[in-house]
Amino acid sequence: MSELLANLALGFSVAAHPYNIGFCLLGALVGTLVGVLPGIGTVATVAMLLPITFGLPPVGALIMLAGIYYGAQYGGSTTSVLVNIPGEAGSVVTCLDGHQMARQGRAGAALAIAAIGSFFAGCVSTVLVAALGTPLTSLALLFGPAEYFSLMVLGLIFAVVLAKGSVLNAIAMILTGLLLSMVGSDLETGAGRMTFDIAELSDGIGFTNVAMGVFGFAEIIRNLEMSQESRDIVKAKIKGLMPTRQDLIDSSGAIARGTILGSLLGILPGGGAVVASFAAYTFEKRISKHPERFGRGVIEGVAAPEAANNAAAQTSFIPLLTLGIPPNAVMALMVGAMTIHGIVPGPQVMTKQPELFWGMVASMWLGNLMLVIINLPLVGVWVALLRVPYRLLYPSIIVFCCIGIYSINNSPTDVVIAAIFGLVGYWLTKHDFEPAPLVLAFVLGPLMEENLRRAMLIARGDATVFLTRPISATLIALAAALLVLAALPMIRKRRDEVFVE
Amino acid sequence: MAEGVKAPPNGGGLRFKVRAPREFYGGLSLIGVAILAIWASGDLPGMHGFAFGPGTAPRLFAGLLALVGALVALTGLLFDGPPIERFAVRGPAWVILAILAFAGMIRGVHLGFMTIPPLGLIPSTFAAFMISIIGSSEMRWVESLIAAVAMTAFCVGLFVYLLQLPFQLWPWY
Repeated sequence: MSELLANLALGFSVAAHPYNIGFCLLGALVGTLVGVLPGIGTVATVAMLLPITFGLPPVGALIMLAGIYYGAQYGGSTTSVLVNIPGEAGSVVTCLDGHQMARQGRAGAALAIAAIGSFFAGCVSTVLVAALGTPLTSLALLFGPAEYFSLMVLGLIFAVVLAKGSVLNAIAMILTGLLLSMVGSDLETGAGRMTFDIAELSDGIGFTNVAMGVFGFAEIIRNLEMSQESRDIVKAKIKGLMPTRQDLIDSSGAIARGTILGSLLGILPGGGAVVASFAAYTFEKRISKHPERFGRGVIEGVAAPEAANNAAAQTSFIPLLTLGIPPNAVMALMVGAMTIHGIVPGPQVMTKQPELFWGMVASMWLGNLMLVIINLPLVGVWVALLRVPYRLLYPSIIVFCCIGIYSINNSPTDVVIAAIFGLVGYWLTKHDFEPAPLVLAFVLGPLMEENLRRAMLIARGDATVFLTRPISATLIALAAALLVLAALPMIRKRRDEVFVE
Repeated sequence: MAEGVKAPPNGGGLRFKVRAPREFYGGLSLIGVAILAIWASGDLPGMHGFAFGPGTAPRLFAGLLALVGALVALTGLLFDGPPIERFAVRGPAWVILAILAFAGMIRGVHLGFMTIPPLGLIPSTFAAFMISIIGSSEMRWVESLIAAVAMTAFCVGLFVYLLQLPFQLWPWY
């Protein structure tokens, strides 16, 4: 316990450095700014803003990225409440009751409860991250290459199970992502692999280019198809930001339950925030005394998913920071950022760079505080931003992305590669393939291959090593069980219903 | 829209009827990607003794991808599914053109038929903005020009002055 406090104290001393507070504030601010834009989800926001953090020192960059992440999520909720366009799957639920509240002139209360719920969830889950960090790190030290490989398989299977659409399609995306990650020189021999003798490909395909292409550009191209004129911005003046006493009483239970559900689901690899908000909403509706009022603007319907969403966002850092395995697409982007700063995510981060680890944990709490402080007064600004027509927004996003990608390596080729992946992403969505598992696999690819090769070498070519070592066997069994569950058509049907709801 | 719309059986072979074109052609494309990967990694050494060679993992995963692709394509033959959504051409074409224009202008490029000198950040950003906005069906000239100037100024302010990244701003310096 005292160790936990000492660690948190170290973290806060890092995070409270004026520079880092500044980065955190800036990150939360631009994250919200971009996250508010309709049709741009959390992953796309983080992908677009990655490049601006690359020039910073590592600690500052990661703190800023974490700020961007929370900001993007909160921005997405703001859009859901005000315009009824969910930026991403995670805020779909917030739309249901949040937008209804806004139509009844209670947008202020909905946004405030979202912020308060998120902040509460953030406080709880920050402590959880800090508390679970040390034991999980020691667990990680028991892991050999075989266990790591199996754990990554499990993570990818989670991503498959939680992806929209068919299980087969998601598996195909995982395999495509793994293949793409192998382009470039081989880790051990340095041999150029699948480079087609193109010099620019010999270092591999840049991770930011893929992410920016399939999330950023592809999303813009897809949005262009939809008519943007049917946007339903709340016209009513937003009055009374503060929720009433009754609102607070009504939502306190929902916030607490959402926090617990979200914290638990966030740790699981695969979907984190999205599943958490769906689960919290469904749960709240089920235990409610008046379930028929859900969907017509009840405050619990905003409070629970928002708290869950944020708690899950936070606890999804746990597998990343302790085991080095990103549980979802946003965490995959964080790995990309860490790698660019020369940090290999994993258990050694906590022991070798405690100030980075604990600084990030502490900045999570600070980031949540900032969201409460900056967002309530700035609601008016976000509303104004939402009035900017899409025809002017999307060229701005495109040039912003272009400059961002170019600035990483001063390489025009990177921009071209991102454009190609934009088209690929557009094609994928037309064929009902989801890009998130692809990006997750793309990031995990090199790690997975390395551990697979090492495990096979240690086991002297015996592939049963993954099934004979107990921890590895458990993980593989879990993965297999999950896959079977997901593949059973009946369950798949029910899962689809949950997502439709 | 997806309720059992029968897709026209275009090009599905003589004996098979493509019942879910989205899955069928998606699966075929995956097989294509897998074959490309197997071909491209064909010259790499495979297993030697117990150790993986550089070519082992790519061929392994490409083989799996071909298998999954075949299964996806097969579901397209066995089960009914929605038709492929129409691909828009105009929007994506201008967006991609804008991105390529940015890439070509910022550092200059030698194409077969012409050479673009390095034009720097300001002209590239402005041009990319104007080209991509043509992709919108609701484009208005005056508004677009003002927005392009504003966005260019914003980007220069953010990337060059705030983030201190080294950029060539104009063609001449």
